[in-house]
Amino acid sequence: MSDLEAFDFVPLQIDPKSKAISAAPNTPTSRALETELAALNALHRSLHALEAPHLVPPPPVPVNPKRSANLNKLRESGNAEYRKQHYAEAAKFYSLGLQMALTRPAWEPSQLVREEAHALYSNRAQAHMQLGSWPEAAADAEASVEAKRQGNAKAWFRRGRCLVEMGRLAEAREWVARGLEFEGEEKELIELLREVDGKLEEEKGRRDA
Amino acid sequence: MFDIDWRGLLLPLAYLVVLVGTFMTFSTVYRKRKALESANLAPWFGPHLQRNIYLSLLHMEPDEGSEKSPKVPDSVIRAALLRRAVEDIHRIIQIRSAKQSCSSLLQRGSVGDDLWQRFQRAEKEMEEELRDVVMEANALVPGWGQIIFQSANEIAANKALRNRLEEIEAQTVQDKEWWEKRRASIKTEFMKELDEESAKGQAKAVSDDEAVLVDTNTPSATPSGASRKKKGKK
Repeated sequence: MSDLEAFDFVPLQIDPKSKAISAAPNTPTSRALETELAALNALHRSLHALEAPHLVPPPPVPVNPKRSANLNKLRESGNAEYRKQHYAEAAKFYSLGLQMALTRPAWEPSQLVREEAHALYSNRAQAHMQLGSWPEAAADAEASVEAKRQGNAKAWFRRGRCLVEMGRLAEAREWVARGLEFEGEEKELIELLREVDGKLEEEKGRRDA
Repeated sequence: MFDIDWRGLLLPLAYLVVLVGTFMTFSTVYRKRKALESANLAPWFGPHLQRNIYLSLLHMEPDEGSEKSPKVPDSVIRAALLRRAVEDIHRIIQIRSAKQSCSSLLQRGSVGDDLWQRFQRAEKEMEEELRDVVMEANALVPGWGQIIFQSANEIAANKALRNRLEEIEAQTVQDKEWWEKRRASIKTEFMKELDEESAKGQAKAVSDDEAVLVDTNTPSATPSGASRKKKGKK
């Protein structure tokens, strides 16, 4: 593309009704082109959801507060269920909230999505832990950490705890040590690390005996 | 007195002509080669698919049979431009992260000069591309040029986050299967252990030491502990 005017022509066609773009028939298509066209059509559809005066996505900030309010309501209901020890219901509420958080239009601030998703994932991990479903809880905690690495000691701790419960001690040790790097001196994490080390030592002693 | 001895000057003049001629030939040949080389430099990035799609949409060819070329709605054009901006964001990030390492590698002499040239050309092309996108955006919707890259940036960041979350989710399915299997095996082993213990306890009290030895040798001691704990929580 050394020349601004030059481009490789891509044979395309448009569906007159749905306005979906697709590769013209009888032409060789690549997977990259197909995935790109799918992304383009999805984006086009989501642009239609824009409210009336906007033709194009508005600037990322300020955000329409409606969705955040709904999200908070779902989280509150989840927390209430959790306090009543209805863990399965709590997890359901958190899942609904997550769905709402992750289906936010793509052009809204990703930082906000991270902020909202990390709390919901972390809470759902806790609910799963209470139900004893360790793999789900471990995955949720990992997702929470993925959404927010720093200042998320609870999620680091929860995945570590789940790994210990599943007997994946070496993995747990690595995870908790990494968590400590991000969180600094976090009492819960240090204690968990000590516990894992103790268990590893025990296991080693048993293997050597 | 000022009579020039042309014949005597012939030799030095010829020398000068040969000298200048050599220099000139060398310089033209050298420059030509260099230009050819830089023209043949591989581009830093692959083909810009999103840009091609956008421009192809603008230049749609008429269908066979009909005279007029199909009308592409503006919203599709806008979506295509936004996709193009998102791809540009990916490229800018790549260039920014590559710049530091590239220049330090060049200083140490670890990479050749042509890599640096390719890099600089890519940088310049990106600048042009960004300017072009902003101009197109302003032409489509007045004032969009100021916002389009903000939106594109968020789209790119959101996409990256979703991809990671999806990866984690995909991993969970495997984890769950593994855990189910593992839990079943722990349970059977635990039950077996219990049976053995009770059988031994009934059979002979003499082999108490042996029983302890057997216990410590089985590696399943910790997992069974875990399953015990889990039962307690349920």
